[in-house]
Amino acid sequence: MKKNYHFIYIICVLLISSTIISCKHKEDDYHNIKDAIDAKSKNYDGISISSEEFIGDINTIEITEGEHTFLIPERKSQIKSYACTECHTKDLDQMQNLKDSKKAHWDISINHADDKTMNCITCHNAKKIDDLTSITGTSIDFNNSYQLCSQCHTRQFEDWKGGAHGKILESWAPPRASMTCVNCHNPHDPHFETKWPDRFNTQKVKERD
Amino acid sequence: MSSNDKKWFSLDLGNKKKQESSSCGCGKSSSGCNSHNKPIQEKQPDGFDQVFNVKMDRRTAFKKLTASLAIGAGAISTSCSVVAGDETKEKSQIEWEEQFKGNYKLMTDEEKKGTVDRLVRSYQLRTGKNISMSSKNAEEDVLFGYAFNISKCQGYMDCVSACVEENNQDRNSQMEYIRIHEMKDGKGFNFNEADDNYYHEVPAEGHFYMGTQCFHCDNPPCVDVCPVQATWREDDGLVVIDYDWCIGCRYCMAACPYDGRRFNWSKPEVPEVEVNKDQHYLGNRMRKKGVMEKCTFCVQRSRAGKNPACVEACPTGSRIFGNLLDPNSTIRWVIENKKVFRLKEDLGTEPKFWYFMD
Repeated sequence: MKKNYHFIYIICVLLISSTIISCKHKEDDYHNIKDAIDAKSKNYDGISISSEEFIGDINTIEITEGEHTFLIPERKSQIKSYACTECHTKDLDQMQNLKDSKKAHWDISINHADDKTMNCITCHNAKKIDDLTSITGTSIDFNNSYQLCSQCHTRQFEDWKGGAHGKILESWAPPRASMTCVNCHNPHDPHFETKWPDRFNTQKVKERD
Repeated sequence: MSSNDKKWFSLDLGNKKKQESSSCGCGKSSSGCNSHNKPIQEKQPDGFDQVFNVKMDRRTAFKKLTASLAIGAGAISTSCSVVAGDETKEKSQIEWEEQFKGNYKLMTDEEKKGTVDRLVRSYQLRTGKNISMSSKNAEEDVLFGYAFNISKCQGYMDCVSACVEENNQDRNSQMEYIRIHEMKDGKGFNFNEADDNYYHEVPAEGHFYMGTQCFHCDNPPCVDVCPVQATWREDDGLVVIDYDWCIGCRYCMAACPYDGRRFNWSKPEVPEVEVNKDQHYLGNRMRKKGVMEKCTFCVQRSRAGKNPACVEACPTGSRIFGNLLDPNSTIRWVIENKKVFRLKEDLGTEPKFWYFMD
């Protein structure tokens, strides 16, 4: 009987030890890529590559939205007819009452939402025409025009902050510089037209015939 | 580098004069090109033996050399010719060195630099034009990953054009690494019915677009099947090919479940003016007939810190590229916050290419 116990005891020890040995992984062995990323990025302490040399001449400003801090291109210097006050010396409501006034900005027509929702002064500040305005009347700088878009397009804003919407400028390396809304979308006419694809592979057609 | 470190044969093709003035066949005064050694002083195994770890003595080395003489005969005859100029001799010297170099995967950094220098010089001798070629290794703490937004892609194919131009792909056979599949709404990912060579205005009504290319699997089946280890996974996750070591058996092409690999059925031709001269040994340098090639996430750009050409060219922002090990990178945010999936995940290939939707 005692011998029997001994036998069981030995088998138990063997089983446990074999389990321990077989479950032991080499340092570089992970069950999947997710585990590997998690394990290897634990001690991440930056890299020697920087995006700065690639961003180069692009004038950027740093913004912080929620937990994300990154660079966006500066906007004001890119707008041809900025600042507005260089032409307009009077306030908007004064201009509207001028008798022989000419129609200004005839080349801009709004094709963004409908008349009930938006007109010029939904975004442009009527009192302070060098600035933009939020729905509640808070002044927004032209450089931060994304704050205007994010009032309605909240889902896109969340994706843009994280990096799922929009484009990163030049380099994947930190610091991150992302394009802002108006670098792709025309705020007055944000819709994109269909177009022809950039190429057609004639060789593929031949091969498949 | 001393001759004892050499892993392949070298032969001095009558460039003694140059050697005395402490320069060598490749025109470099450094030892980068490995032609500073006396002929046939071989102790170290060549590339084949590096792989299989076979001990090689002096005798087998001579045997191997004899067998290789057929290839070298042309080079030797040129070198002995009185008529042939210095440049021709130098060319033959480079050809010789290139013929017997080892597998890039096993090269030391100096050897990598040596072969890159030779290739640059060889291009210069052939065309009179200068290229720059890098042998930059994987950066520490970098693992490249890619995400593709299916709801954003509009099928413009700007990425395909940018890729062809960046990577010096054969213009005759119109080789393309990227394929954009036009899929019908409501049919799911049905690649059999999808069209990857459409020509009409896009985006087409009732369709969505999905791009495929090499996914740089973390567990790449193409690497396992290569009989000569000419393709491997680098430390930054890129799956690369040594075009000079590839024998063109196309096992990898058959093993890839994603149709990510391309074969050069003919000699790749790129018009001289269109050649991208910013090259990497493992990336967009000129290939030859009968070797495999594929997307390298533009190794010549990505290792330098730039986005791959397709990411830069995409006007819709569907393509996201970055470092998976950087917890603050956008690619990490996408993977952790969007509903992502990968193609044929059940195969266990662990592609580092995620798809997601808005």
